[in-house]
Amino acid sequence: MSNLGTAGAKRSATHLLKANAWFVFAFLYVPIVVLVVFSFNDSERVNVWQGLSARWYGEALGNTQVISALRVSLIVAISSTIVSTVLGTAVALALDRYRFKGRRALDGTVYLPIVIPDITMAVMLLVFFAEAFKLIDTFGPRLTLGVTTVALSHIAFNISFVAVVVRARLDQFDRTLEEAARDLYATPWRTFRRVTLPLIAPGIAAGALLALTLSLDDVVISAFTAGPGATTLPVYVFSTIRQGVTPELNAISTLMLAASITLVVASLALQRPRSTTP
Amino acid sequence: MSSAPPPDAGSSVPAVEMHGISKRFGDVVAVDGVDLQIGDGEFFALLGPSGCGKTTTLRMIAGLDIPSEGRLAIFGEEVASWPPDRRPVNTVFQAYALFPHMTVAQNIAFGLQMRGIRGADADRQVAEATALVQLEGMEHRRPSQLSGGQQQRVALARALVNHPKVLLLDEPLGALDLKLRQEMQVELKALQREVGITFVFVTHDQEEALAMSDRVGVMSEGRLLQVGTPAEVYEHPANRFVADFIGRTNLLEGVTESSSAVRLDAGAVVAAANGLAAGSAAALSVRPEQVRLHRRGETPAGAPCLDGVITDATYLGHAFVYTVAIGPTAGASGTHASERAATITARSETGSAALAAGEPVSVSWSPEATTVVAD
Repeated sequence: MSNLGTAGAKRSATHLLKANAWFVFAFLYVPIVVLVVFSFNDSERVNVWQGLSARWYGEALGNTQVISALRVSLIVAISSTIVSTVLGTAVALALDRYRFKGRRALDGTVYLPIVIPDITMAVMLLVFFAEAFKLIDTFGPRLTLGVTTVALSHIAFNISFVAVVVRARLDQFDRTLEEAARDLYATPWRTFRRVTLPLIAPGIAAGALLALTLSLDDVVISAFTAGPGATTLPVYVFSTIRQGVTPELNAISTLMLAASITLVVASLALQRPRSTTP
Repeated sequence: MSSAPPPDAGSSVPAVEMHGISKRFGDVVAVDGVDLQIGDGEFFALLGPSGCGKTTTLRMIAGLDIPSEGRLAIFGEEVASWPPDRRPVNTVFQAYALFPHMTVAQNIAFGLQMRGIRGADADRQVAEATALVQLEGMEHRRPSQLSGGQQQRVALARALVNHPKVLLLDEPLGALDLKLRQEMQVELKALQREVGITFVFVTHDQEEALAMSDRVGVMSEGRLLQVGTPAEVYEHPANRFVADFIGRTNLLEGVTESSSAVRLDAGAVVAAANGLAAGSAAALSVRPEQVRLHRRGETPAGAPCLDGVITDATYLGHAFVYTVAIGPTAGASGTHASERAATITARSETGSAALAAGEPVSVSWSPEATTVVAD
C-alpha cells in the first residue's frame, strides 16, 4: 500500500533525524565531558585514568603564574565591561532616538567589530597603538603595551556587543511611557532615571554580562595587545599548551568553562522578554 | 489685544484658549489654524475621524507637541512653548501608558513625587485618588495584573491626584469592550461633576461625544469645522461633513433657488431656509427620524413631499428602518433630464403600520427639521 510506504519512509526519516541530533550533540559535548572528567584525574599523565581527585584544581590555584594571569584577566574584564556598557548603552540610545548627521554611517559601522575577524582586529589595534605611542612619545612619555592597552582593545569590541543587545531592548520600549512621565511633571533627566533606565536595565545587564564573558574568553586580541606582564588567563593557557596538555590545564579550562556558562545563561535569562504575569 | 484677565475674573477666564494654532510635521499639516475656547469646568469633546488632528490638538495642550504657529493659553497663561512638566494639565493616554515596573500606588504617586510631595501627605492623596476611582485593595498590584477597566481607572487616578487645571483624555474608552465603555461613559461624567475639573476629551465615536460632553468640536483634515452643544451640532450641522459625520442623515443634493427654497436633484423644489446665494450647490440634510412615510397620495398639505418606492424594510425591534428610492427611477411622471435618483432612509416607531418593500409611498418632513449644508 502506498500510504503504508509513506508512513514507513516517514518513520525512517524520523529515525535518521533523531540519530543526527544525537550525533550533533555528541560532537559538541563529548569533548567538554572528556575535559571535565579528566580534570578530576589523579594521574600525572593526561590520558591515563588513575582515579578521582581534585588535586589539579589545588595545583592550579596554587600556581602563582595562574593567579597573576587570573588577576590581569579580571582587571581587564571588569574595567572594559564597565566602560563599554556605559558607552554601548549611550550609542544604542543615540541611534534609537536621535536623528543626527552621520547617524546612518554610525548605524552601519558600530556593528563592524562583531564581524571583523579577531586576528584583523588584533593587528589593527597593535598597529594603532604603535603609531599612537610614536606620536605621544614625541612629547615625552614612554608608553608601552600593558594591561591598559588590553583593556582598551576589549572596550573597542565590547561596545558593539552591548549596543546590539541594548538596542534590541529599546525596540520593545514604549515611548508613550516617557511622554506619560513628562506629563506627570518629570524633567527629561528624571524621566530617564525613573522610567527609561529601569525598563531597559535588563538589556543593559545582559549586554554587560556578554561583554564580561567575551573579555574573559578572548585570546587573539589580548595576545597581540598585551605587553610583558599583562598575560591574561586564556593567553597563559594558550602559551602553556605548546609544552603539552597537562591535567592542570584541564582544571583551569573547566573553571573557565563554568564561569562562561554561568555568565551566558545569566545574560540570556535577562534578555528574555518580561513575562506578563510576574 | 491684551490677554491679561481682570483680577477678579476668576472662572470667566477660559480654561484653554487657542488662537490660530497650527501644527506641521514636515510637509503634512496636522492641525490648521484652530481657534477654540474651552470654559472652566466644561466637559469638551474633540470629535473627528482618525487623522483629523484631534489627538495632535490635545498633545499641544499637554505640551507633548509644540505648535508651529499660534497662541495657546491655559487659564490666561501663555504656555505654547512650555515643556509638558511645567503645564498644569495631565493626560489619560489612549493605551493608558501605565509604568509597568511600578505598582498601582507607585503609578498614582509618581506625579506627586515629581512635584516634591512625599510622606504622609502623598500617602493621603494617593489613598483619596484610589478611593475616587474605586481601586481600594489593588494598591500593590502591577498594571499587568489588572483588567482593562481597572488599568483605565489607574490612569485616571494617576492624572487626577495632581488636581490638574485641565484633564486631557485621548480616546480613553477606545480599548474597552462595549458594555464596559457604556458604564465608563456614565462614570466619567459623574466623576467630572464630582471633581469639577475641565475635561478635554478626544474621540472618534460621535455617540460617545454627544452622550458625554457639554460642547463638541468637530474636526476634519486639521480644521475645526463646528463647535457647539451636542443638540446644536446634531440639529444644525454647519456643513456637509458635520451633517454626515454626526449621526445618520439623508443628504439630498440640489441647488438653492432662493434663500428659502432648494431645487433637489431628485426633482422637487422644497422650502428650506438657507443663507446661501441663489444657484449654489447645496445639500438638504434630513435626519431619518424626521422623515414621515405616507401611502402614495395621502400626503399632508404644506409640507415638502417627494414620491418614492420602498426598496428595503428592516425591523430593528423598537423601530423600522426603510430605504426609499426617490427621483426619476421611482416611476413618477414628467421626469426631467437633470433629475437624478436618490434614496432616503426613514425610521419609524414599530407601533405604526408596517410597510413592505415595493410599496409606492410619499415621503415628507417639516421644513424646520432640515438644514441646508454646503461643502
